Amino acid sequence: MSAPDPFSSANPFSAGFLKAWVDQAGALQDMFARFADQSAAAMPPSMPPPLLAPWKDFVDRMGMGGFDPAQFLPGAPALGLTREYQETAARLLELSKQFQQRYAEFAQQNAAIMQDAFQLMKKRLDAAPPAAKSPAELYDAWIDCAEGVYYQAAHSDAFARLLAELCNISSAFKVERGKLSEQIARHLDLPSRGEVDSLHRQVRALKDSMRAAAAASARSPSPTGSAGSTKPGRPTRPAKPAKASKPSRKPRKRGKK
Amino acid sequence: MSTATDPLAEMLQSAAAMQESGRAVLRTMLGMGDVEVGTSAKQCVLSDDKIRLFRYSALARSANLKPVLICYAMVNRPYLLDLQPDRSFIRELLLSGLDVYLLDWGYPDGADRFLGLDAYIDGYLRRCVEFVLKEHAIDSLTLLGVCQGGTMSLCYAALYPTQIAQLITMVTPVDFKTPENLLSKWAQHIDVELLTRSGNVSGDFLNLVYLSLMPFRLTQQKYVNLLQLQGDRVQLENFMRMEKWIFDSPDQPATAFREFIQWFFKENRLIRGELTLAGRPVRLKNLAAPVLNIFASKDHLVPPSASIPLGAHIGAQDYQSMEVDAGHIGLYVGGKTRKSVPAAVTSWLQARCKS
Repeated sequence: MSAPDPFSSANPFSAGFLKAWVDQAGALQDMFARFADQSAAAMPPSMPPPLLAPWKDFVDRMGMGGFDPAQFLPGAPALGLTREYQETAARLLELSKQFQQRYAEFAQQNAAIMQDAFQLMKKRLDAAPPAAKSPAELYDAWIDCAEGVYYQAAHSDAFARLLAELCNISSAFKVERGKLSEQIARHLDLPSRGEVDSLHRQVRALKDSMRAAAAASARSPSPTGSAGSTKPGRPTRPAKPAKASKPSRKPRKRGKK
Repeated sequence: MSTATDPLAEMLQSAAAMQESGRAVLRTMLGMGDVEVGTSAKQCVLSDDKIRLFRYSALARSANLKPVLICYAMVNRPYLLDLQPDRSFIRELLLSGLDVYLLDWGYPDGADRFLGLDAYIDGYLRRCVEFVLKEHAIDSLTLLGVCQGGTMSLCYAALYPTQIAQLITMVTPVDFKTPENLLSKWAQHIDVELLTRSGNVSGDFLNLVYLSLMPFRLTQQKYVNLLQLQGDRVQLENFMRMEKWIFDSPDQPATAFREFIQWFFKENRLIRGELTLAGRPVRLKNLAAPVLNIFASKDHLVPPSASIPLGAHIGAQDYQSMEVDAGHIGLYVGGKTRKSVPAAVTSWLQARCKS
């Protein structure tokens, strides 16, 4: 029996991997073809700025993409038994809309960066004929142009403010979503985040007081003349040293890898 | 019709070669399995909640210097310093006869969200320092802080100056508000209280921010360049080790993260002399031990301007700064620096630190 073909389309990893490269190569070919176009109106190709997709992916995973504005009546008052849920849902919707607005501005800002980088690259190519450069050099030159333009933009106050707004809106969304989870947990008689937090604080307070007590007992001589043999709360040596080459285990696997 | 010298034709040929190279890279990667990192032999000598203190096994005759305690940043994993046998800052120190300890902050989770910088610096770090001092029956040791861990080490050394025989800071931010500091510019408008109100800050979010510092290089160019490796297994393994490390970012405990952003990035309290930890002022002027401050000239995370001011704010008479022609990470794993930097550290210690 022959081994499975790692490049088969049935292998999602290799298919995605190769497609990403082919797409990238295609976009670059398109872009370099446009550099060869002497028309002043030549626009950069439809290659998305690299910053956008990870941000979109990040907030989608928070659930911000899951709200359909059509399901809600804007400005409708919260009424009846479920009014608390309605209020939370309305706030989530409002934040989702705010995020979409800012994200559109962000996309526009990034498109402008791509456009400026494209123009800069074109200017450089006009100054130095492309024939003198290998494709790899052209690609590196493009990255230099793009990073140079991006660096200037990213240091501007406008960029920093927009980025912060995206971050602040998604943080507020997370807080509201947490309230909803809290309500649901109470209904299902599950431990809520608030209860767990409360327990964490109590455990921490206990540990701190045990450490303080242990430190105090270590300072004062014991009646038998030796320091107390048991020291609760002290850091402990593990019974067996950890194996050298094995790093401590991650508590959870991250989906994105 | 295109000729052989037509750049567009070349580009097409190159794209075809790229696809072939992509297959070679993929073929090699599929047979590679997981890569090993942090392979130098070490023992866990102290366990305190999620914190582990490791002591590395000696690789050479003792240089008879004070033990070195490495305090790494909380935002990344410390195995960068021992990535692989031929790219290991720690291994080089061991080969010089140093006794090396490493503080591993672990992976904070929801149980750690209320731990502030007090707990990390005046709690965990202090207990690790005290453990090493007791273990060696000495009064002071060498503290080596890396990046954020360097800032934490500075705070510690200012709070407990007599426990520090020498302090080495590597790519450590001290002045958080210099014009080149992009992270700081972005942090100014972020509502960090709101960010941390719903718990720890995810490692994914931090990675997103880091990638955003140089998105074209970090999300595109480095993968395109991978094709140039033509399926070279050794090079691909090196790449994968680094890739593993880059995205292995622990979540950040909410309170400590909030305090770090607010107090350091936004208010620049450390160099303004306004920082208080565990109810005590953190005065850099208290720091009288010799200090070696290493920074990287191409550092995009901690620009040199953020590290250089240290000398002007500490009380130490014996202060030396060292500029390395590298980036934030290249300092430890770069072709030349991976040996020259640990050698410089050892020489500097040997000149000062006979125990």
